[in-house]
Amino acid sequence: MEFAIFFFFAAVAVIFALVVVLHRNPVVGALSLVASFFALAVMYVLLEAPFLAALQVIVYAGAIMVLFLFVIMLLNLQHVAEPVTRPIQQFLGYTTAAAFGVGLLYYIVKYAVFEKLPDGPFHADAHTIGITLFEAYVFPFEMVSILLLAAIVGALLLSGRTYQKREAT
Amino acid sequence: MIPTHYFLILSAILFTIGVVGVLTRKNGITIFMSIELMVNAVNLTFLAYARQFHQVHGLIFVFFIMAIAAAEAAVGLAIFITLFHHRNTIDVDEANLMHW
Amino acid sequence: MPFDATDIGLSIVKIAIVLFMMLNITPIMVWVERRGSALIQDRPGPNRVGPFGLFQSFADALKFILKEDIVPARAHKWLYTLAPAFGLLPALTTIAVVPWGRSFKLPEKVWFGQRFFEGRPLFEPVVADVSAGILVVFALASLAVYGITIAGWSSNNKYSLFGAIRASAQMISYELSLTLAAVSVLLVAGSLRLTDVVWHQTGYFVLFDTVKIPAWNVFSPAMWISFIVFGVSAFAETNRLPFDFAEAEAELVAGYHTEYSSMKFALFFMAEYMAMGTMSALIATLYLGGWDIPWYNEPATWQGFVLSALFFLIKVVFLLFVFVWVRWTIPRLKYDILMKIGWKVFLPLAVLNTLVVAAFIAAGWI
Repeated sequence: MEFAIFFFFAAVAVIFALVVVLHRNPVVGALSLVASFFALAVMYVLLEAPFLAALQVIVYAGAIMVLFLFVIMLLNLQHVAEPVTRPIQQFLGYTTAAAFGVGLLYYIVKYAVFEKLPDGPFHADAHTIGITLFEAYVFPFEMVSILLLAAIVGALLLSGRTYQKREAT
Repeated sequence: MIPTHYFLILSAILFTIGVVGVLTRKNGITIFMSIELMVNAVNLTFLAYARQFHQVHGLIFVFFIMAIAAAEAAVGLAIFITLFHHRNTIDVDEANLMHW
Repeated sequence: MPFDATDIGLSIVKIAIVLFMMLNITPIMVWVERRGSALIQDRPGPNRVGPFGLFQSFADALKFILKEDIVPARAHKWLYTLAPAFGLLPALTTIAVVPWGRSFKLPEKVWFGQRFFEGRPLFEPVVADVSAGILVVFALASLAVYGITIAGWSSNNKYSLFGAIRASAQMISYELSLTLAAVSVLLVAGSLRLTDVVWHQTGYFVLFDTVKIPAWNVFSPAMWISFIVFGVSAFAETNRLPFDFAEAEAELVAGYHTEYSSMKFALFFMAEYMAMGTMSALIATLYLGGWDIPWYNEPATWQGFVLSALFFLIKVVFLLFVFVWVRWTIPRLKYDILMKIGWKVFLPLAVLNTLVVAAFIAAGWI
């Protein structure tokens, strides 16, 4: 039963990822990425981490992709002509990625096949994550909050309202 | 119980598809979305290993990666908007002022 | 986890009940809205189609089904058809984690010569009792933005696009205050499961050693600010007045669903009323004690379950009426004022409330 769910949503994730990479229209690509993230959230539930599955949908599918869609729609990017990649770059890109992928799969099958899981329940709930976050990882936590502040200030400055149109040199 | 290497293989496939997107496309937004795909494949790897060894540190890592990816997406899109206002094109090959 | 026939059968019964209630919200609320607005505006309202206009919903449904279904000329056909489904998805799925009755142990019965419910399993009236309960609600509610954005963009109409962009910006801004306001409730309950939140609210506050008030979160002074913030953000999330920029009748023709007709428009309509129903159920669960009957200890039998489900329904119906009441009483806010108070008033208030509740818990007063 779990295998059926796994294979179905794995297929959904891979198919929509292919649509993202291969389709011309960036809006369709963005929506396919949302579907792929949703399928990945189901994967996280299968990995016994429902808290992170909900976070994945809230943060990635619900906030980051909305940002992508806003940018695409407000800049009217679906009407700009899609640049065509030169054939030599396409060929080299596909072969490099294929070689990389085959190597990665080989090493996974060779070294990363585990027989069994350890006994006992896996506590991946908010309580355990909260305690670990505020005891062992409190310094990175505070640093990430400062980093988010820097990101907000940077994004506001870069796309600010009093934008002077500089000439293309 | 689904064996861990199933998730690792899925993660490897998604990562490779992301690499294809970054290497072959010239549309800036599509490259950015392929990068997000790669980050999510890495998230899946972290969670698979966290469940394999019953450690909560993998989950904390995924938590931080999500927060930082959100910040990166915001700033990256702001940079992309600025580039678009300058050159009026989404082709990343046109961002070549520092080219020799 | 082992699934047996009892689990699957009970799940199907629960899903059928919840789905039946959700699908019936729209026709009933259409009538309530039209007669309620007529009452507030001192006019008769629909009174021709059946006694008190009760069959008006049937007439409306028939009209929607028989209208011609058009697709605008240069609209993106796939996305145009997909957008109402996106709007319906969060409305129908978030109700799955809300508990709507008291749990009780099923009695062992013999029907048609077969023994049922051996071992007295617990009937938990939640469709999905996930351990990250309320986060699932927020996750699926944040997908509601896509329905509006895609609908406005794919209609190939600049007024729809304006309505859609304004509404999506409003929805993502008020999602933050919604989530943070609920955090104070979760801090007090100590768990993310909605069943634990409701169990925490059974019991009493005792004032002056004599007066017993039910321990609902709305009666606890530390939660008053978060109740107001959550209520206002619920209005903003469901795109109801005073925050209805998505529709903005008389401003943007009909906002993001200008170009939609017949069943697709009916789907948007249904999605809006079902989202209202889900938000009312959430407010009732988080603040008004869910299925808890005030001043009465429900027994753990099926009679207690039915009574508690009835009280939950009463609370949800009351909140739905408040939605209609506010819509026809308060005028629409100007858009920049709306965004300003969303970010500068409600978000700081929600954060402040979280800090206050955390301080109270640390001091041991809660």
